[in-house]
Amino acid sequence: MKGKALLSMVLALSIVFCFCGNTLAAEPYHLGVALGFTGTGTLYSKDQMEGIQVAVDEINKQGGFLKKHPIKISQQDTQTKPDVGVRTVKDLILRDKVRAVINDYSSAVAVAVKPICREYKTLHIAAISNSENITKINYSPYTFQVVPNSYMQAKAASYAVAQMAKKKGWKEYVTLSSDYEWGRSTQEEVVKDLKKVAPFLNVKKELWPKLGETQFASFVTSIMSMKPDFVYACLASKDNVTFTEQAKPYGFFDKVPYVGSMQSVTELITEARTMPRGLVAISRAPFFAHLDVPMMTNFVKNYRAKYNGKYPSDWAVMGYDAVYALKQGVEKAGTIDTEKVKDALKGLTVDLTRGKLQFRPIDNQLRCSSYVGVVKDDPKYPFPILAELIEIKAADSERPEAEIVAARQAEKK
Amino acid sequence: MEFTFLFSQFMSGLTYGLMLFLVASGLSLIFGVMNILNFAHATLWLIGAYICFTFWSLMEAHQFALWVSIPLAALATAAFGWICEVVLIKRIYKRELHEQLLITYAMALIFGDLIKIVWGPTDRLIVRPSIIQKPLFLFGAPIDSYFIFVILIGVAVAVGLWWFLKYTKYGHIVKAAVYSREMVSALGIPIPKIYTWVFTLGIFIAGLAGGVQSAIGSVTLGMDMNIIIQAFCVVVIGGFGSLMGTLIGSLIVGEVFSFAILYWPDGAMVLIFVITAAILIVKPWGLFGTPLRA
Repeated sequence: MKGKALLSMVLALSIVFCFCGNTLAAEPYHLGVALGFTGTGTLYSKDQMEGIQVAVDEINKQGGFLKKHPIKISQQDTQTKPDVGVRTVKDLILRDKVRAVINDYSSAVAVAVKPICREYKTLHIAAISNSENITKINYSPYTFQVVPNSYMQAKAASYAVAQMAKKKGWKEYVTLSSDYEWGRSTQEEVVKDLKKVAPFLNVKKELWPKLGETQFASFVTSIMSMKPDFVYACLASKDNVTFTEQAKPYGFFDKVPYVGSMQSVTELITEARTMPRGLVAISRAPFFAHLDVPMMTNFVKNYRAKYNGKYPSDWAVMGYDAVYALKQGVEKAGTIDTEKVKDALKGLTVDLTRGKLQFRPIDNQLRCSSYVGVVKDDPKYPFPILAELIEIKAADSERPEAEIVAARQAEKK
Repeated sequence: MEFTFLFSQFMSGLTYGLMLFLVASGLSLIFGVMNILNFAHATLWLIGAYICFTFWSLMEAHQFALWVSIPLAALATAAFGWICEVVLIKRIYKRELHEQLLITYAMALIFGDLIKIVWGPTDRLIVRPSIIQKPLFLFGAPIDSYFIFVILIGVAVAVGLWWFLKYTKYGHIVKAAVYSREMVSALGIPIPKIYTWVFTLGIFIAGLAGGVQSAIGSVTLGMDMNIIIQAFCVVVIGGFGSLMGTLIGSLIVGEVFSFAILYWPDGAMVLIFVITAAILIVKPWGLFGTPLRA
C-alpha cells in the first residue's frame, strides 16, 4: 500500500512539475512601448511602433524570445509629455509587469523615465530619442540607446559643414534650433564642434523657436535680414516641415544655404513634392544606406508587405533594431531574467539592420553611424533620398570616454 | 538695419498678428456675448484646418482647390460648431467660469482625439497653387505672397464684424444682449437662438482661420494647444469681448514677437507674457475691455 501511495505521489508531482514547466516555458515576454502617439512626437512614434510590430511578428513567428517566450506588447501613449511619460511607464511596470520599455520620441520624456526604470529594475531602450544626456550623465545600467545620440549627430554634421565651409568660403552662420532638450544639446554640440573643426566660422545669432512653433515667418525674414553665409538648423519633426514650408515662399532656400536639418525618410516621403532639392541634411537611420545588409533588405520587404508598400522611415528602422538588440541580449543571457539580460547587453555586439554594432560599455550607447547627404530625386523611389551619402561611423563621431567620465564626476560634485 | 528688412519683419508680424486675430476674434466674440470661455476654440480652428485639407485633397488637381476649400472649411466647421452649441454649450451658460473652462477643455481633448481618429496622426500638407509659391517684393522686401491673402482676410473679418455689430439689426440685438439679456428677452427676441448663432459665427471665423492656416505650414496634431495660449494672451491684452481690443492685442503680439526675433530672440515669447501679465495687473479688463458681467 505504501509503495502504491508513494508511486501515486511521484506521479502526481511529476504531472504538477510537468505543467509548471510548460507554464514557465510559455511565459510571455511583456514588452512595454511608451511612445508619444499624440503631441509633437506623433509622426515618428507611429512609424517606430510599426517597426517594433514587424520585429515582434517575425520573432513571435519563431516562438518568441529563446523560441519559447512570445512577446506581448503593452502600448501606452506618453503624449510626448514627461509627466505623462513617467505615469504611463510606471503603469506599464506595475500593472502590465513589463520587463523592458521602449520609450520615447522626446528626449525630455526619456530622461524623465530613466530613473523610474532604474528604480523598478526594468530595461529601458531609447530607440529614437537621442539626447546624449539619456546615457551620458545620471547613468543607469538599465538604459540603452540605439539611435545615434545628439553628440554623434552634431559631430557628423559639423564634419560635413566644415568641408563645405572651406570649399565655399563661409564665415558667419545663424543657428535655428527647437527650444527643448534635444534642440539645445544638439545646437550646443554643433557650435562647439564647429569651433574645433572650422575655427574660422562665427555664430552670428542663435534663434530658438519653441517646440511646435506654427508661425516661422518672423524667423525666416529675420534670418534673411542678417544675411548669414549659411543657417545651421536643429529643428525637430513637425517643426522642420513647418519651417521648410513657410520659408519656401520667401525664396529662402535660393538665398541662404540651409544645412544641418534632419530629414529622415519620414520627411522625404511626406514632403516628396514640396521639399526643396539640394538641402544638405542629416539623418539617423535611412534604410537606403544599408540595403547591402541582408537584415535590412528583409526588414524593408516585410515592412512594405505589412504596410501597403510604404517604405520604412528611420524611426521604423530603429524601432525594429531595438527589438532585435533586446532579442540578442536575451539569447546571450539564455533567459528573460531582466538582470541577466541587462548584463548580457552591456558591451554586446549585435547584428542589426545597420550592420554589426556594439553597445559601448561605458554608457550603453549603440556605436551606430550618422548620415549626411544632399536631398535629390532618385528614379528608384517615389520620393527624394539623401544622395552623395556620407556615413560617419561612431568611431569618428562619438564622445571620448574620458569626457563622459569627467561629466559624471562633475555631476557628483 | 536696412529698411527693406525692417519692412519684411513688420509684414511678418502683421500677418502673424492677423492670424492670431482670426483665431482670437471668435473666442472674444463668444465670450463677450455669451460669457462662455471656450477653451476648445483653437481645437475647432484645427478642425477647420483639417477639413480644409480634406476639401483640397478632393480637388487638388485644380489650381482653385485651395481658394474653394477655405470657405467650405469655414462652413463645415461652423456646422460642427452649431451642433456643439445645441448639444453641449447650451447646457453650460449658467455655470461658473472655472466649470466652463474645465468642460471646454474636456471638449478640446475629445476633439483632439476625434481628429486623430478621422485624419490620423500624419502631418497633412497642402501644396499651394503655383501663383503663390514665389515671393512677392514690396519695397524690395521679400514677402510670402500668400500673406497678402491672409492680411486681406484678416482685414475683411475685422471690418465685417465691425459693420455687422454697428450697422445691422442683428448686430444691434447681439450688442443689446451683451448689456441686458433680460430686456432683449422681454422684447420677444429669443436669446437662446441669438446665442446659438453667435457661437456658430465665432466658430465660422475659427474654421476660416483654420483653412487659411492650412496653407501656411503642415497641419499637425497639437497645433491648437500652442495657439490657444497666444489667443488668450491677445484677448487679455485687448480685453475680452472687445473687437477693437482683439485687433490691437493681436497686432501687438504679432509685432512684438516678430521684432523680438530680430533683436532679442531669446525673449520673444517672454515679452508677450510679460505684456500680458502687466496688462492683467494694471488694467485687468484689458486695453479695450469692460468688467465681467455677473
